[in-house]
Amino acid sequence: MAVVARAWGRLTIPGKVLFTVLPLLLALGLALAAVVGLFGGAIVDLAVQYGEVVRFLASATIILLITIPTAFLIIFMEMKIIAFMNLRIGPDRVGPWGTLLSVVHGLKVLMKEDFTPSGADSLVFTLAPVVVYGASVMTLLVIPFAPGLFAQDFNLGLLYFFAVGGLSVVGLMMAGWSSFNKYSLLGGLRSAAQMVSYEIPLTLSVVGLLLLAGTMSLNQFVENQSGWFTNWYIFQQPLGFVIFFIAMTAEANRTPFDLTEADSEIVAGFATEYSGMRFGFFFFAEYVNVFIVSALTVVLFFGGWNAPFPFPELSVALDPGGLGIWLLVGIALGPVVGTLILAAPFILLRSTMPIWQALVAGFVLLNALVVGLVLAWAFISFEWVAGLLWFLGKTYAFVFTFVWMRGTLPRIRIDQLMGFAWKWLLPAALLNLFVTAGAILVVGR
Amino acid sequence: MSLIPGTGMVKGMALTLRRFFQPKVTVRYPEVPANVAVKFRGRLQLLHDENGALKCETCFQCAQACPVECIDMGGVDTKGRFHVHWGAAETYGERREESALRRAGRPVPDPSHERFPAVDVALVDEILEAHDHDPARMLQILEAVQAAFGHLPVGALKRVSERSGADYARIYGTASYYHHLRVGPVESPSTGANPAALADADYLAAIAAAAGGASRAAG
Repeated sequence: MAVVARAWGRLTIPGKVLFTVLPLLLALGLALAAVVGLFGGAIVDLAVQYGEVVRFLASATIILLITIPTAFLIIFMEMKIIAFMNLRIGPDRVGPWGTLLSVVHGLKVLMKEDFTPSGADSLVFTLAPVVVYGASVMTLLVIPFAPGLFAQDFNLGLLYFFAVGGLSVVGLMMAGWSSFNKYSLLGGLRSAAQMVSYEIPLTLSVVGLLLLAGTMSLNQFVENQSGWFTNWYIFQQPLGFVIFFIAMTAEANRTPFDLTEADSEIVAGFATEYSGMRFGFFFFAEYVNVFIVSALTVVLFFGGWNAPFPFPELSVALDPGGLGIWLLVGIALGPVVGTLILAAPFILLRSTMPIWQALVAGFVLLNALVVGLVLAWAFISFEWVAGLLWFLGKTYAFVFTFVWMRGTLPRIRIDQLMGFAWKWLLPAALLNLFVTAGAILVVGR
Repeated sequence: MSLIPGTGMVKGMALTLRRFFQPKVTVRYPEVPANVAVKFRGRLQLLHDENGALKCETCFQCAQACPVECIDMGGVDTKGRFHVHWGAAETYGERREESALRRAGRPVPDPSHERFPAVDVALVDEILEAHDHDPARMLQILEAVQAAFGHLPVGALKRVSERSGADYARIYGTASYYHHLRVGPVESPSTGANPAALADADYLAAIAAAAGGASRAAG
């Protein structure tokens, strides 16, 4: 025993961690293997029997997981794009072009003190960020990313989206009320007033679209807009799109409607008393909201995962097995030969460049080329890859627009905000609805 | 307010989009050196080492290199061997020159401690009085002094520095900057003798007589 204790004492801290974690992992793996070995057949049977449940659990987990990198990416985009618009460079220290800075922000938020004010209703105080974040993430469940790539497709998708999205108001109210701080309460009420006011023109602006599409399923919306880009609903509902876009900006608390947490004027609104990761969840929810808002705009008005024109049918027949032994030779020699060929122009044309730099450049070029080829092949061969790329491209174009607006527009006053919602957006939405209904009566769908 | 609502917004968005593609003004400093004027030296100051002692070893190389002769030495060196102080040249001048020679490897000229001819300071005082002893009007003062003496004698410049509170180096810099100002020849119009040839006591007496008091000679 003393030998073990002495050996343990000699280990460095990483060694101690490794020697603790490795056996645990090993035991876990063995247990998993045993479970699969003993009950594997039964598990597969169950999964087949409850396929819908398994699909739901898997998609919910995946959606919960992809929100974090999405939020990181959008935070980075916001820092970089606004910096570029200010003629600054923006983040460029952590990671290539500063891409890891938002990850560092996330870690920083994780490490901060998680503080609950005395007198706060700690249960509600803790649950509020969960509700806000959960409401954002749950709306993603009905967004169709690509053909076949969606969590759930049900015929009340749009209604579900607005219903669950409206839950975030409850979260904000919870945060404001439970903080035991009158400024937080005021901030919560203020944001609740804003979001409830904009909920009405938002929902009304989509009703005209519902009349046109005759469905609430978001998948059906996308399929209705297939073909040329003239089929997109933006061309049939331009006013509806404008109202929808403005109201969605207000719903997502983005500039020029970001009065809920007007950074430079009120402290932080409902989030005044929050710190650490609880604040981080509000923060992340805001950026996930930007993605969701853009995604819904694309789905409803810009054809979702449809290409703007009917993409020519191409197919590449790849049969790597037919090469026989040459496949192995190609795998062994391909990277080396490719690197050398791509490095050759650097070596021959730029005599000032050291050989190793030329080789590195050649290797990077080869990687870019291969990734491009693989992407192109996947784009042609798999419908869902093409759909996902079109969808993400359009969505991030809208994310860029939101960031662009934040870099440009000043914040408006609270009375202007309310007056605009009730005096302009609401009548315009009603007008849009009546004109659409009349047009459908006269022309037909 | 234009007729079509939202044009201002569109203008603003177009502006930020143009900015987005324009070259950036940030300089990545440690990687990219800042673009400053060739002669820029920043602010001159003496640095201290980790023990709090001055790092300056009074080697006089900076004073020699200074194009406007605004740097001069004074104080204790880092090892405490060498004492430099403003005052009568005979108390430190020899050791100072010895030290400067040892450190710089060559003789170091020290014009500000050379003997200078005495001048009629009453004249200088009048000029200063007329200009309110204002250092901001240094150019007019110097022009008036030059008009009175025909050139700018060192003694007059020292008197101007003493009375107006401006640094001698600054006054010298101003005087040597303008082409129409001439910082003076060595021979003294008032005493008529070469001060370097005088005995120390005679020199001090001449200076004191020109300053209109006996305080310095008494000390």
